[in-house]
This record gives sequence, structure tokens and C-alpha cells, in this order.
Amino acid sequence: MNELVLTLGWLGIYAPMALGAAASAIGCSIAGMASIGAMTETEGGYGRFVGVSAFPSTMVIYGIVIMFTLNRDVTPENAGGLFGIGILSGIALMYCGIWQGRACAAAINATKEKPEIFGLSLAPAAIIEGFGVFAFVFALVISAGIS
Amino acid sequence: MSDPDAYIALVSSLPGSERLFVAKQPPLSRLRLDRRLTALTLEDARVLKLLEHALNWGDYDMDVTDAQAIERCKEALRDIPQPTLRKLLLERMDLRTAVAALRLRKQGGNPAAGTFGMGRWARHIPANWTDPTFKLDGPMPWIKEAKQLLDAEDPLGLERLLLSVSHKQLKKHAARHLFDFEAVAIYVLIWNIFDRWSQSNAQDAAKRFEHLAQQAMADVAEIDFDGASA
Repeated sequence: MNELVLTLGWLGIYAPMALGAAASAIGCSIAGMASIGAMTETEGGYGRFVGVSAFPSTMVIYGIVIMFTLNRDVTPENAGGLFGIGILSGIALMYCGIWQGRACAAAINATKEKPEIFGLSLAPAAIIEGFGVFAFVFALVISAGIS
Repeated sequence: MSDPDAYIALVSSLPGSERLFVAKQPPLSRLRLDRRLTALTLEDARVLKLLEHALNWGDYDMDVTDAQAIERCKEALRDIPQPTLRKLLLERMDLRTAVAALRLRKQGGNPAAGTFGMGRWARHIPANWTDPTFKLDGPMPWIKEAKQLLDAEDPLGLERLLLSVSHKQLKKHAARHLFDFEAVAIYVLIWNIFDRWSQSNAQDAAKRFEHLAQQAMADVAEIDFDGASA
């Protein structure tokens, strides 16, 4: 029984990093495909498209920081807490990354027609980033209570 | 429901559908569009072809009967798996049924049986044959204007009204589909409307050209080539 609990603890430590990496990979690929498509239709501003498609890469950074914060000796007493915080923050980061990628793709698609809305079109992606930051910060705050 | 991210690169590589109607030059030729559509999977390409085959007038023979046209649409409805595209096809059939009924009545005809055309209003229209708008003002607010244009014998105006109504219907569905197959299919249908629209503009231009040419020729007739006016 203890082994299972300890395994869950380790899973919780690594989950934010793994799910954050998956989130960034999926999000960046979604936005990246949009930027490649937009490049075939426009005459310039390619750098902006590529820059926007890299937005979801922040999720893996948050995941790495949470992983280091949770990283400690896993005991039967703290394994449950590590598992809960790690898995849930990882899932939150994953959703944020995928949907941020979609929001960036929509922004790129809109910007290719109307370059003047570039800044405003990024607002949804920025708001989603804010939700990712919430998941990140409060994972750090809560993890301070785990022995 | 299709994969929402299936055609991100394809959709992003197409010029915005709004730009199609404001551009002086077509921003995307059919040749280029077809080249982009090679990114579709075989199954999606088949569905798109089926949809276009059912909706494009150009794909119908001049002597096609109502029964043949209806059968083709029913066949398409059976083979198209996406609910949005099926709904879109049905909406277009409702529109065509109503316009065909207006035309038939203007010619003094009557529906052969208790049904006319296909879709939701196939029974409703014969039941309200004597009403100017078949009592369809609510679901089809454009029908009154269509009848007026038909009565005024303005086929170009009617064509533009119907294209505009079809465009609005497509845009309504497009709002719910960003990067999936439905978004691509709706884009192609909007492109077809743009194509028809530009053709109707060309016809308009040809009419105007003919009018101007006749005016110019009339002026020429008054000129005495020896140097004195008639």
C-alpha cells in the first residue's frame, strides 16, 4: 500500500512538468500551423506570427517551477498532497496551453486580414495566460503547507 | 462533430471571406483554391464535392427535372455526416423551394400534389398557395422582397437578394466553426457565392456596356465624316 502511495507522490511531483510540456507542445503546434498558413497568404509580418505561436510555451516553464517546488523526499504523509497539487495544476496548465494555442491561432488568422487589430486580438490568449498563472502561483502557495 | 483543429493551416492560408466581396480583383482564383483544398483528407474532399454537386447550379443539366434535383439533394443528405453541413443544405433547399414556388405561381402553375419541392415547407407552401408569401414572412423575411423583384421582372436584383440571403445563412454557421472541416466547406460555398456574385456584376457591366455602346453609336450616326454635322 505504501508503495502505491509513494508512487502517487512521485507522479504528483513530475505531473506539472509532463502535462505542462504536453500543453506547450500542443498549443505551439496549433498556433504554429495557423502562422504557417497565414504566411502563405501575407506579404510580411511573419515574425509576429511566429512570436504569437510561441505564447503557449510558458506553460512548460510554470510546470518546471512547480515540479522543483514540489520536489522533496516523498513520504506516506506528504504523498497525497504532492499528488493532488501536482496532478491538478498539471491538468490546469494543459487546458490553458491547448486553448491558448487555439486563441493564438484565431488571433493569427484575424491579424492576417486586419493587421491593426494585432494587439487586441491577443487579449483572449493573454487572459488564458492569466488563468495559467493562477494555477501556477496557487500551486506554489499550497505546496508550502506540505511537509 | 469534426476535429476542431483539423485544418488550421488550410483555413489560415485562405483570404478572409469578407475580402472576397470588397476586392476589385478576386483574391483567390478557383485554381488556387483547388490547390489549397488538396490538404483535405480523401473523405472530406468527397463530402465537399458532394455538397458542391448538390448546391451548384452549374452542376445541373439545363433540362433537369424537380424530381432529379430533389433526389440528388436527398442523396447528399444521406452521405454527408456533418450535422452543420446537412442543416446548411436543408436551409438552401428551403430557400430554393420557396423561390421555385414563387416562380411557378407567377407563371400560373399549381403544385402537382400536396407537396412541393423539399424541406420543411414542402407541405406548407401548397397549403398556402394563394397567400402572397405562402405565410412564410416569419421564417423567411426576405420572401416579400423576392416576390416584389419577381413581379417587377428584375432577375438580377432577385439573384443578388438570394445570394445575399445564402451568404448570411453561411456566415451564421461559420461563426461556430473556426478551423474544422465545416469551416473549410462553408468557405468554399461562400467562394461559390462570390463567384456567382462577380458573374452577375459582369452581366450588369455587359448590359451597361451595351447601353453605352448604343449611345456612342447613335452619336456616331450623327457625324458627317466629311466634316459637317448632320
